Amino acid sequence: MRRLLSKTKLSANMNCRLDGNCVKAFGKAIHALSRIGDELWLDPTVKGLALRSVNSAHSAYACFLFSPLFFQKYSLQSTSEGGNEPIKCKLTMKCVLPLFRCLTSIERNVEQCHISTGPPKDQVMIQFFCRHGITKTHNLRFQESEALQAVFASHLCPNTLTAPARLLSDMVMHFPASQEEITLSVTPLRVTLKNFYEAGSDHMKMVYTEMSLHPDEFDCFQVAVESDVTFCLKELRGFLSFAESHCLPVSVHCSAAGKPVCFSVEDLALEATVVLATLTDSESREPSQPTASQTHTTPRCAEASHLAVGSCEANIREPRGTPAVTELVASSQGSPIPPRTDGLWLPVEDCTNAPTTPASSMVCSLLFRALFSEQDSDPANLTVLACYSDEEEENMEEEFARSPSL
Amino acid sequence: MPLLTQSQADDEEYVLVASLDNARNLSNILKAITFKDHAIFSATPNGLKVTVEDSKCMQANAFIQAEIFQEFTIKEDLVGFQVNLTVLLDCLNIFGGSTVPGVSTALRMCYKGYGYPLTLFLEEGGVVTVCKINTQEPEEPIDFEFCSSNVTNKVILLSESLKEAFSELDMTSEVLQITMSPNQPYFRLSTFGNSGNAHYDYPKDSDMMELFKCTKTQTNRYKMSLLKPSTKALALSCKVSVRTDSRGFLSLQYLVRNDDGQICFVEYYCCPDEEVEEE
Repeated sequence: MRRLLSKTKLSANMNCRLDGNCVKAFGKAIHALSRIGDELWLDPTVKGLALRSVNSAHSAYACFLFSPLFFQKYSLQSTSEGGNEPIKCKLTMKCVLPLFRCLTSIERNVEQCHISTGPPKDQVMIQFFCRHGITKTHNLRFQESEALQAVFASHLCPNTLTAPARLLSDMVMHFPASQEEITLSVTPLRVTLKNFYEAGSDHMKMVYTEMSLHPDEFDCFQVAVESDVTFCLKELRGFLSFAESHCLPVSVHCSAAGKPVCFSVEDLALEATVVLATLTDSESREPSQPTASQTHTTPRCAEASHLAVGSCEANIREPRGTPAVTELVASSQGSPIPPRTDGLWLPVEDCTNAPTTPASSMVCSLLFRALFSEQDSDPANLTVLACYSDEEEENMEEEFARSPSL
Repeated sequence: MPLLTQSQADDEEYVLVASLDNARNLSNILKAITFKDHAIFSATPNGLKVTVEDSKCMQANAFIQAEIFQEFTIKEDLVGFQVNLTVLLDCLNIFGGSTVPGVSTALRMCYKGYGYPLTLFLEEGGVVTVCKINTQEPEEPIDFEFCSSNVTNKVILLSESLKEAFSELDMTSEVLQITMSPNQPYFRLSTFGNSGNAHYDYPKDSDMMELFKCTKTQTNRYKMSLLKPSTKALALSCKVSVRTDSRGFLSLQYLVRNDDGQICFVEYYCCPDEEVEEE
């Protein structure tokens, strides 16, 4: 992949220091992110260091933002050329994860960790200062890359639940590790988690698990719209494990089937979010689903459990008006979903690869907006958000600007 | 447990008889050098040396002194033969290698001399197995001409500090670079892999550093594929000495304690991969 360092973009260097306890938390975040995707974006900003990952089918996204408070020291320094845009690094998970693989050993041995970018320009240095005076230094090459960011207006979600991470972990524990998808059903009276099975599968061989919680079990319970959302469980487990280790309450934001579901935790030092695409309710596919003739409008996201990936890398992918994904994506129900021809599909690097999970085969991608979209993009292609209702569409541009960036 | 299945007369035919109450005292240490099928056995009145070589650039030796054996009788000054090491280990573990305390496999290893197989009598719980392994003409082990007087740099480290580093080594790196110096970074292991490089630094005053004697700064690279097998010896050992000589040849010596707390040695020699400018 070609480097994207454009001539006009000057960069700043990040330098941060974590103490031993925080290194373990940092490592746990990387473990959680490794359950999502094969690449890790390191995005140092003034708000803190963001770690992001997205799966190849673009149906799961996670972001861990460590505020400067998390670090013993956190600084962004302009380079001598006077640039003030921090470097955006893309690392492969398989070169970062081994450094943090054994968390118990890190806890035992690592006293301090330094992470810094440049010089040289394309390397990030991760240095562990360990017991007995031993120092381990890793210089990892990265690709300069615009980070993908799923924009999710959680404050617009009709349903919000907050519960201790332990509660959710305990519920999720009842599902076997092989369980791909689960359905979260929310009504004003109760919350149910059950495993999702395909219509055609052999019911005699299935173990059907369902558990319910009373609203009282939640720290916060706001349900405006009854909904059933089905999403991939595997991608959530790492996040729940992280949340549990920090004893943080988890907020769940969801709405109708087909719209993404968001899980988040936060405290003073960090914010972590996982956004997962959900299956559309195939029985209620409405005729108002966008067709080729509606290329001029921004389609309703209710049906768009396929969401497009916004252009994120200037020279590699440019938004195109014409649909690029023309092959059929096999759905888990066996009937292929016809390609979307509404102009929303943008070339997605890996979308043409055979998706490995049923959820990703039904539903392809979340919408990503480039963090720094300097190029003029076709608004119709990039302004589709994880939006929720028609009346939002008129305010789309404003909401877009106001949505909390993850 | 006594293994008396042979009459006294047979014993006179053997040029080498070595007995162990616990065959693991031999098999464990041999596992540390099993990266090739064939091994050269050299027995002298001092004990047994087992040698495995790779590519004419690397050699591993396991030393089991005569004192470790319950019986060690040798009728010549040097008895040498070559056997398939994998087969030998399979035989030594023929009873399944159980680690139940109090239960061990007894071994009596006998060799009649050139042209004869290596005979193993193994007994556990009253059950006796006899194995005969074909021997070959022993090759001459390479003499790396590594002598103490030529050693420029030497450190002794506690193995536990190196074990983690070796298990984490970036295997996409073709070489392992070892830097030893009287100055910073003192002792450094480096890899150069697909995603970048990594350095493991051990300062001379670390409490893991038992001995530090470096006279000049040397950086040498060794093929990772040749050194990676030494991780097994490292895992068994409690201490390791790392020495380089003026040619950049590497000697790793591992101090291994067996099940009974006795000391054995494993040694690795390796040629440097390329000439690196000495600073």
